This record gives sequence, C-alpha cells and structure tokens, in this order.
Amino acid sequence: VARTSLTSPPWPEVKLPDPVEEAKYHAEVVQKVNKMIAAGQYGRLFAVVHFASKQWKITSEDLIMMDNVLEAECGDRIRMEKVLLVGADDFTLIGRPLLGKDLVRVEATVIEKTESWPKINMRFWKRHNYQRKIIIRNPQTVLRINTIEIFPCLS
Amino acid sequence: MVLLSAPRWLRSRLTDRFWRVQDVLKYARHFRGRKNRCYKLAVGSVRRAFLKSTRARREKKRFLRALWITRIEAASLEHGLKYPAFISNLAKSQVELNRKVLADLAIYEPKTFKSLAALAQRRRQEGFLAALGDGKEPEGIFSRIVHQY
Repeated sequence: VARTSLTSPPWPEVKLPDPVEEAKYHAEVVQKVNKMIAAGQYGRLFAVVHFASKQWKITSEDLIMMDNVLEAECGDRIRMEKVLLVGADDFTLIGRPLLGKDLVRVEATVIEKTESWPKINMRFWKRHNYQRKIIIRNPQTVLRINTIEIFPCLS
Repeated sequence: MVLLSAPRWLRSRLTDRFWRVQDVLKYARHFRGRKNRCYKLAVGSVRRAFLKSTRARREKKRFLRALWITRIEAASLEHGLKYPAFISNLAKSQVELNRKVLADLAIYEPKTFKSLAALAQRRRQEGFLAALGDGKEPEGIFSRIVHQY
C-alpha cells in the first residue's frame, strides 16, 4: 500500500517496555517502599484528603476551616477516611481514586465552631427603587490535623 | 391653672438620625476623599461597594480556577506535557485530584508533580497504542489503492 499522510499516525511512535520486566521492576519498587515505610525512614508526611466536598492538602499540625457545620463537639477526634494521595520526601502513594483505609490514617480534632464574619449580600436595580440588603453569617468549623500515619501493607 | 394635656405642635420627630447615618458611614471610613465623611456621597459609594463585593464573590471562583489552570499548565510544560493531555490522562487513570490541589502540589511538592506527569505520559502512550489497534487491515474492505481503469 502506498505511503500517504495518513499511513502513520501524527504522534511519534512509542514502544512500551516489556510487560514481564516491568512487572518485576514494579514489584521491586513496591518492596523497597514497603521496607522504607516499615523502617520509618520518612520525614514529614503530607496527604490530600477529600473532606466537606473539598480537597485539602494537609500535613500534621495544620489548621483547616470548613464553611459548614460538623456534627461533632469541640475536642472530638475525627478520622478522615477519603485520602487521595499521601507523600513524603522520597515516595508518594497515589490513590486511584482513594487509598485504602488500612494504609493511611489521618486524625483531626475539632477546635472551634464559630460563625463567619457578616458578609453583605446586596441587590440593586437602578431607577426601579429596588434594593435589598442581607447580612449572611455562615457557620464555620476549625479542625487541627493531629497526625498522618501510614502502615506498610503495600502489595 | 395646670394644663393637663401638653400641646402637641409636632407629631413625631426623628431622634436617631445620627445612628442611621453612622450605620452607612461606618462602611465608608476607609474610602478616599469626601465620600468617607459626607453622607450624601457615601450612600452611593457604599451601595456600589456592596454590589461589587457580591459580584466579586461569584467571580472569585472563576478567577481562581483560571489561575490554577495556568499554574498547572506551566508546571506540566516543564515536564514536557501540555495541560489538556495532562488533565485528561490523569482523569483516565482514575486520579481524582482537583485543580486547586494540583496547583499546590506543583508549587510545594515538585517531585510528586513529576511523578503525576510521568503517570499521565505513560497513560497517554498506552492510549495511542490502543488507538492504533493491531496494525492489520480491517476485514471486508477491499484494498486502499484505487485502480483507475
């Protein structure tokens, strides 16, 4: 068949590495990371957590403020379960989309429950004698992230 | 003789005009010029300020998203990937990180962002290979060469 502009695709041809060798390499890397986690050779851990319909990048001793009410009293310890990513200096564990609950543990404490500053919502139509002013105070909750722990149960 | 009913020449008088005026002026104290002192000028300025703040609260979300996208684009170009390729391949690999967190990782965790870019690149190449298929001609089609008889 003659070679035209459509014989080869517009992207450069790529060769993926050998699947068997790749599987071996992957297993090696996983073993190494498991050993590192078991030995505790990591510094500060950071995690990406999905909480209150938002994603937060958190570390320990972090303060987080949510713009809504949490049904927990001040001083309650909370475990955040939807962890998307955990990382340290030398390795990251990326969840697809979430990481297992037996792998990561993120603990937080509820510190204060207040209202936001009074936000003013104003509507105005000119020449129509229409103006409305509403002052909105949202309930807010402040959490302190106590610890992020990982356990060596990779496979 | 004591008058038992006081003469009421005036029905009612406004007594808290000062506080009503202060209610408006307190929002104008940090303005520039006479509109931080004079009530007549302050009323319009304060109203415009309220309207602008309500509108800005809606537009802040769009503005921040555009900012995150710009930052992610810059970071992924450093690793040799364009933004649409990066985002689409991350989504196809079932990594549900939003743009805010990706921008934060690109700034503060460069190694993690590099690994995410590598993941997206690998998924892109696998997608290309899957699109090419087997490399054989499909059945039921006669040859692509058109013979002119």
